[in-house]
Amino acid sequence: MDTRTEPNVSRRQFLRDGARAAALAGLGGVVGVMAGRSSAKGTVWQIDPSKCVRCGNCATACVLEQSAVKCVHAYAICGYCQLCTGYFEPEPNDLNTGAENCLCPTSAIRRTYVEDPYYEYTIDEALCIGCAKCVEGCNRFGNGSLFLQVRHDRCVNCNECAISKVCAGDAFRRVPADHPYLLKETSH
Amino acid sequence: MKSRKQPITRRQFIKAGAHDAGLLLVGSATLAASAQLGFGARLGKDVNPFAYDVGRLRKTDPKFVHYEQIGQFRSPYPEPRRITAGPADRFYLAAGNYVSVVDRDGARVSELALSDKARCVAVAGDGTIYAGLKDHVEVFDHKGQHLAAWASLGKRAWLSGLAVGDKDVFAADSGNRVVLRYDKSGKLIGRIGEKNKDRNVPGLVLPSPYLDVELAPDGLLRVNNTGRHRIEAYTVEGDLEFFWGKASSAIDGFCGCCNPIGLALLPDGRYVTCEKGLPRVKIYSKEGAFECVVAGTESFSENWQKCSPSDCTTGGLDAAVGAGGRIYILDVVEANVRIMARKPDAPAASVGSAGVKG
Repeated sequence: MDTRTEPNVSRRQFLRDGARAAALAGLGGVVGVMAGRSSAKGTVWQIDPSKCVRCGNCATACVLEQSAVKCVHAYAICGYCQLCTGYFEPEPNDLNTGAENCLCPTSAIRRTYVEDPYYEYTIDEALCIGCAKCVEGCNRFGNGSLFLQVRHDRCVNCNECAISKVCAGDAFRRVPADHPYLLKETSH
Repeated sequence: MKSRKQPITRRQFIKAGAHDAGLLLVGSATLAASAQLGFGARLGKDVNPFAYDVGRLRKTDPKFVHYEQIGQFRSPYPEPRRITAGPADRFYLAAGNYVSVVDRDGARVSELALSDKARCVAVAGDGTIYAGLKDHVEVFDHKGQHLAAWASLGKRAWLSGLAVGDKDVFAADSGNRVVLRYDKSGKLIGRIGEKNKDRNVPGLVLPSPYLDVELAPDGLLRVNNTGRHRIEAYTVEGDLEFFWGKASSAIDGFCGCCNPIGLALLPDGRYVTCEKGLPRVKIYSKEGAFECVVAGTESFSENWQKCSPSDCTTGGLDAAVGAGGRIYILDVVEANVRIMARKPDAPAASVGSAGVKG
């Protein structure tokens, strides 16, 4: 008596089942990754202003074409200076809005006269590339009211932030998504 | 079928070897070049294309430096803020919660404990000590006996300078942008420097809390209007008499958004000015013409670094004048005092002009 059993699946069936299993495994993997991401949704990336050393990497290392890092302005700290060292070159020819006098490489800072001798400075985020040149100027001489923050209306919250990997000041850290900004305050 | 290797001649062997060696050489060169390129690219990445470069302003032209350091001592307490000279060539430091009294070489003579951080200090001819805390003045006799605590100036007050005359005490309040005139009992009798169109006073502009006040031998007050980059002279009644100064990173001007942050007066009425951002101490004539540098930016490496990454409200310098024209420079970052004396071969004065005079 022949005890060999006939194979109950054909080669075609085997291949079909194999492909289905592989597809299911792939889907499972995607679901797993998504689950992992949704658990990371509780936190977002942010820059600690006290650690930022204005290395310039925020402008160039972000995965987005234009960096999600922008300069923000703490108006309560600002001196509203006529000679704003975050706005003007270190040795400007004159204190006017001529491009040769201005520090920002993309003209993202707007200067508005308030009253003698005060001026207000606002950041045009559509133009700001997060290079921190103005931040360094403001800190070098002034009160440090200009600083960098990850803007969460555009940050894609990568698991491993490309800027954080090259941040010279180790200033990137995860913060709770419901408190996504680390803002500067004044002590005086 | 029998396979047989084709025999090659010695010449063919050498030619093939040379060919292979050439290929190896080309490959090595290519690898080395790509490695070099990669290294270069990495170097390029380390260079910040957006750097805010003020490095060239750190070096002072030696021909302007007419002083040399002859001594140095530590501040008795951390967080020093102001230094002033008193009778008998003694110096008073507002540091931590103390006013410390030291002799001309920095040896501690005595100290006064305060209830809060000391922010400024002035000493009368009779030795009475006026210590400025954040929002009020406290008075001590020459033995350190507590005499009085004057009324608080409120939440916005931020006292940062004091001066004392025969009858009056003047308190520079950065928070309220005003110099307050008190009599010696602590009664407020005047406000100086506030914006007043009728008196043609444009007002004090103080982006950061560094208002200082000195009473000059001519009886006028000298006040640093930092946001306007100038020194202003007021009568004790509050009339603006004249001013001088200009904004510039050049050596004859006041750098950054708001300087000078500290003042002292030489016995002949010339000015000693202190700046932050580019920490430097300079001397101007009675008319406001730049004369020379006491200590340039390169002398204050920690103070220079403090403004980056921290903001510049945590840096700063102050100065006091001792007997024989010695200048005592307080470095608030390094918490030390440098004693500077004029170089024996220093010229009488440098060429220069400080610009506007009113």
